[in-house]
Amino acid sequence: MADAARAQPRTPAPFRVGPALLVLGLGVLGLAGTVANLAMLLPAGGWWAAMVRPDASVPVQLLAAYSFAPRLVVSLLAGAALGLAGAILQQVLRNPIASPTTLGIESGANLALSSALIWMPGLLDFGREWVTLTGGLLAIAVVLLLSRRSGFAPLVVILAGMVAGLYCASLAALLALFESHYLAGLFLWGAGSLSLQGWEEPLFLAPRLAIAALAAALLLRPLALLGMEDAQTRSLGLSVGMVRLAALLVAVALTAFVVASVGCIGFIGLAAPALARIAGARRIGAWLLASAATGAALLWATDQMVQVAAGVYAQMIPTGAVTALFGAPLLLWIIPRLRLPPAAAGSLAVRLGQSAGRPGRRLLLLGALLLLALTVSSLLGPDPLGSNLGGWSLALPGDPSAVWTLRLPRAVAALAGGTLLAVAGCVLQRLTRNPMASPEVMGVSAGAAGGLTVAIFLIAETSRLEQTLAASLGAFLALIVLLLVARVSKANPERIILAGIAVGALLDALVSVLMASGDPRAILLFNWMTGSTYGLDTSAAGASLLAALALLALLPLVRRWLGLLPLGEDTARALGMPLGAGRLLLLMLAAVATALATLLVGPLSFVGLVAPHAARLLGLRRPLSELYGAALIGALILVTADFLGRTVAFPWQMPAGLVASMIGAPAFLWLLSRKQVLA
Amino acid sequence: MPSRRAVMLGGLSAAAAIPLSRSAAAEQVIAGLRIVSMDFGLAETLIEMGLPPVALPDPASWAQWVVEPALPPGIVNLGTDREPNLEILAALKPDLIVTTPYLDAIAPLLARFASTRTFSVYAPPVGHAFDRSVVATNQLAAALGREGAGEALIARAQACMDEARLHLAAAGLAGRPVLAVNFLDARHVRVYGAGSLFGDVLERVGLVNGWTQPSNYWGFSTVGIEALAASPASRLVYLEPIAADTLGRLEASPLWRSLPFVQAGRVIRLPAVLMFGMLPSAMRFARQLTLHLAGERDDG
Repeated sequence: MADAARAQPRTPAPFRVGPALLVLGLGVLGLAGTVANLAMLLPAGGWWAAMVRPDASVPVQLLAAYSFAPRLVVSLLAGAALGLAGAILQQVLRNPIASPTTLGIESGANLALSSALIWMPGLLDFGREWVTLTGGLLAIAVVLLLSRRSGFAPLVVILAGMVAGLYCASLAALLALFESHYLAGLFLWGAGSLSLQGWEEPLFLAPRLAIAALAAALLLRPLALLGMEDAQTRSLGLSVGMVRLAALLVAVALTAFVVASVGCIGFIGLAAPALARIAGARRIGAWLLASAATGAALLWATDQMVQVAAGVYAQMIPTGAVTALFGAPLLLWIIPRLRLPPAAAGSLAVRLGQSAGRPGRRLLLLGALLLLALTVSSLLGPDPLGSNLGGWSLALPGDPSAVWTLRLPRAVAALAGGTLLAVAGCVLQRLTRNPMASPEVMGVSAGAAGGLTVAIFLIAETSRLEQTLAASLGAFLALIVLLLVARVSKANPERIILAGIAVGALLDALVSVLMASGDPRAILLFNWMTGSTYGLDTSAAGASLLAALALLALLPLVRRWLGLLPLGEDTARALGMPLGAGRLLLLMLAAVATALATLLVGPLSFVGLVAPHAARLLGLRRPLSELYGAALIGALILVTADFLGRTVAFPWQMPAGLVASMIGAPAFLWLLSRKQVLA
Repeated sequence: MPSRRAVMLGGLSAAAAIPLSRSAAAEQVIAGLRIVSMDFGLAETLIEMGLPPVALPDPASWAQWVVEPALPPGIVNLGTDREPNLEILAALKPDLIVTTPYLDAIAPLLARFASTRTFSVYAPPVGHAFDRSVVATNQLAAALGREGAGEALIARAQACMDEARLHLAAAGLAGRPVLAVNFLDARHVRVYGAGSLFGDVLERVGLVNGWTQPSNYWGFSTVGIEALAASPASRLVYLEPIAADTLGRLEASPLWRSLPFVQAGRVIRLPAVLMFGMLPSAMRFARQLTLHLAGERDDG
């Protein structure tokens, strides 16, 4: 029975604390924070009077009435809205990990708002909520269209949603990148600041949320029936499609209102319903209510803590970034405790099969293409100062201006980065028997980026070697966390990927908080996070190429293991593979490859996810031919991305990693919609 | 237009003299120095000293953030400041690249194309932007062998401050606390504190900066608008650019309406002035302050 809503905790006794107790616990935390903040603001007492009937001549009373109080109300309203939206989405899609964040709704709404602000500010006159609603609806429409063929299998839906969300986030990052660094408003919005100066936001949210909540209440009975199989539901005379559509609309509207009023507040919509379920809320009505209450209490508590911290450090911290900072570890804790519908669990496996004939020829062809791309990329570029010959200029070796010496290191670095990512992706997919595994999706890239971030902020001057070490350490740590989650949850692919999202969100939150601090190192970090190959010198590019080649040379040594692992642990052990040592070795291989690649092309590119699939699509299915094919494809994608990024908007340059994700994300989504072999 | 200036074939002729027509670049050749500036503050100083740069990152945004002094036509776009286009740099063959500590990460890269000098105004530790601009202007002038032009610019800036001080004092504004902000949206401002260019100018023209909290080394703090309630300021000046819907949304906020400068109707809009600029921006800010503050009738 694929009923997400009735999923039960794995170990019932210690975690069944009761939803009321859960809300109460969070509420106590929120109350304690509220008291602490009010005590800082109004030392004299008379708090209630100050908030309800402020004395206009006393500034702190005005602050209490028009800043502190509405902020408190908005945190409750927005939290409740996101909690409810998450629960509705989980019920409609029968998917315990659905949420406004994981379905890309928040990012879609945010992207729509950012683009409207930059290009069509006139649209905002109709109301921000219409812009965000359109963005959110478009995002979820794309996600559902793409996962339709799988019968909305939970993993497929979430993967499409995540990738669509990341894609929207990349586009928004690109917008921010081209905006001058003088302008910081967009970042604040994306990071979800709850700072308020009046009641218009609560007054904006309250009636809209009330209508949406009413609609949800009307949908309660049909929603309860949606938990059943479609055939059963239909036999009860219910128009499944209409109910689903109406419920989705309500959930998207709830999210869009929150994004329109205060911005992106990640993970509340995922954490609140999951917590409510773990606390023991079973029946749909109780669960929806508990989800909303948990969401409200969660955001309230978080926001009060943020204000305490902001008071202590005299620094504005965006609450939305902090919810992700707390939400991610929470999610990691929840994941092993969720029971997933059996239909979805364990149904994934890397498809093995006979390779199509002559893998050698295909590999040669790919190699030739790569060589061509490399040649074109290093020799051809827009004419730097003029527009002769259609604005293009050819830089040949021996050219006194030696422009090709500027281009070749970039192209080589992109090539090395693509190769390393693709190999890491292949290894991870085979190791975890999960076709959606990859350094990007599993948070390994994020781990590498996190390690580098820590190094940049803790050590004044970092050498390239130190950076590599820090990134490798971060990537390895992320992998260890993931594998622990995998061990607890018996290597269920959904859980592993979900844990990966959580690690990735943790990094995003960290970077958002750093960005909002205005520290210029954060701007450099952001620049690098987008995956720029800018300014890499010949020695760095050469070293990366050597590393990539060394990795490729090592691959035949682990070929047997990579062939055995997808057959399952027992088979692999029976056939004489030293499981523990072999796994550890492969993991370290993937971690180091990811770390090196992340230093070159950033953590965002999707190449590690897409390249192995593309190789298999080309019929390269045996371990070695898949690995080498993926390596060539990965290199090809990134070299092309680097060339496009360098030339399309000349003299502006778009980072190769970001351009690759512009290519990689739609390619992945297309692949997902074509190849839904999962259900 | 760059296309008119360069007739290149296959990038091969970059070494050959680039044919120049009426443009900043042409004057540069006459002046004997082709300077690339990586920073708007340095660029405005160069322009004021009569040595405009040949290339800048994103010159199109000059009109949005700097405005004055006007940018001569024909300045080559380098792309972003964090990642200036190296192929253009290579083709331009500048004599000198001037940059700031903000771009220290790419300084070694820039040094491959021309001798590169770094001038520090906005860098840790927190300091005073005006004083540092004076020092940096002298250093820049010395590096270009234009010490006279540097001294003249500094003298002009001092005179401009003194003149503004006289005007504002005559309008009865001496010693008034003023807040200088940029609106990020309807809920957040960037407020300029002690040590920022605007803060330093406020002091030099005889006003008092209404923001006394510590700022970062750029001289600003990002705060929610509610934080402005703690300031004793009786006036607020905000700088363009400002999003279209910001003012309308502010009007709806009781807290905003309760702020003393809003109640007194002393919220003053100023055209854009580069907040991270050098002496020319300081002069522009002082002139705009005089124009918009001394013009108002004062009774508070």
